[in-house]
Amino acid sequence: MLAAQEPELLIEVLRGDRAQRPRRDDTIAAGLRALIEDHVFEVLGPQRRDSALVVTSSTMRRSDSRLEMSDISLGRVRGVAISLLLRLVVAQVHVENPFEDAVRAWRGERPQDELLGVVEYLDADQRARLRADVEAHFATLTRCLGPIPSNWWPRTSLRARQMFGGGNVRLHDVVDLAVGSTHGDFASVALVDVTTSPLDAGAERVMRFHALVQTLRTSIVPLRTSMFSSATGELWSLDVDAEVLMRAVSDLVEILTTARSDS
Amino acid sequence: MSALLQRRLSARDLSELVAHAPTQSATISDEHRASLASRFRAVPSTEHRRLDAWMVEQAGRPPGPFAWTPATARRILGNNALRRVMREPDTILGAVRDEIADQLLRSVNGYARAGSLGHWLGGVAHPVLGLITAEAVNWATQALECVQGLEAGWRVPASDVYYDVATARTTLRGRRDVVVGADAERVVLRIRSGIPGKSAGHGLRSDLAVETLAHPEGVAPRRYLGLWPDAGLILGVEGSMENVRSGASDFVRAAVAQRRHGLVRAA
Repeated sequence: MLAAQEPELLIEVLRGDRAQRPRRDDTIAAGLRALIEDHVFEVLGPQRRDSALVVTSSTMRRSDSRLEMSDISLGRVRGVAISLLLRLVVAQVHVENPFEDAVRAWRGERPQDELLGVVEYLDADQRARLRADVEAHFATLTRCLGPIPSNWWPRTSLRARQMFGGGNVRLHDVVDLAVGSTHGDFASVALVDVTTSPLDAGAERVMRFHALVQTLRTSIVPLRTSMFSSATGELWSLDVDAEVLMRAVSDLVEILTTARSDS
Repeated sequence: MSALLQRRLSARDLSELVAHAPTQSATISDEHRASLASRFRAVPSTEHRRLDAWMVEQAGRPPGPFAWTPATARRILGNNALRRVMREPDTILGAVRDEIADQLLRSVNGYARAGSLGHWLGGVAHPVLGLITAEAVNWATQALECVQGLEAGWRVPASDVYYDVATARTTLRGRRDVVVGADAERVVLRIRSGIPGKSAGHGLRSDLAVETLAHPEGVAPRRYLGLWPDAGLILGVEGSMENVRSGASDFVRAAVAQRRHGLVRAA
């Protein structure tokens, strides 16, 4: 079920109705792995490729809109800044000046990042516009997020790497926020992707991709996967079940088929 | 050299790997230690050598200059926070913040030497400190999630293990994050980022060798397991004599390669 939420706090959606949570499913992951291996073999064959096909959540999003290069860079800067600010908020750090704090955190984390160079060379007008943009997105995020209890085990920028077809296909994923534990009797892990773009059809594929990679990584099916837009304040949330995961596999096969015909 | 074990990283698989580890592991003698020292002495070095499993995996290539970043600080802070959580119930975030506060206090009081974690933390901007907290929370939470389902008792050791090779100007370092079970029948876990590479087995055997050499009675752990939470994988080696020997030989090879790199650089 895809639930579009607006007024409710994000953490309320993640919590949901505790009585309705399904039992923890640790049986489906092995089948999914075997299924993906079969598809990878069918699509790419047994030969070892020179370079692996890397599938990420951005690949899944596949936006057709054409943007100027500078807009793409500034959009990415905004995305990285909001992702860093989310990490600070979840770590219960007070953010005084969102743009400056994000840039300082970024410089501390990856001082050599080329994209950071884009920020350094912005003229005063562009910098002011970017600052206002980041502040607006951050205001939307903090208004809709709500306080994340630290006993929910919040993890930010959670990475996952999965390989198939002897390394021919690699799934790389980063989930902005994950809460919950895989150890209880009932499913409790919720995944959140925060985007600075409005939600579109690609967002559903991204949500399914996160759920699939998380299932493959932990061998436990997460409770739900969500996507929040700091541009519109919109939140989409999916309860993860076998059908959602099978659709994620179909999305992946479609991407691989397209990539094979393009190469 | 015995085969590398591979399992999915799940509570059940990890528990099985711990519970079904061989009951007997290798014990090394003074002759073994002396033999290793003579092999290292045969590889001359003008300065003190420090070798670890990472250098073995990188075929002796010298690492770049070390710099503290949120990513390099997360393991120490995360493990220390996890030890705090086990000692006195607290949230992981609370424990990480306490740990950072302790480090900062040490720095303010002048106990942190230049280049140490406390010294670096004392000089970073407030938002970077937030990011360091986030990274350490991720590390500690992932570590706890990995070991929470274990039936056997476990502890987070206070430090990595080091072994000074006698009269060979060489120090070996073995990384370890969690020790499961009592000393003589321990299984050691090491948590890694990313995906295991082709040389992951060599790295595990090297860590196993240092863990054995550093043990006062030379007793190897029953198993040495590498956990890769990003990939959802466990790789492991058993504490057999052939694995300990193989790990020690890999260190000697890394020392030879390191010397060769040094000579090339000097030329």
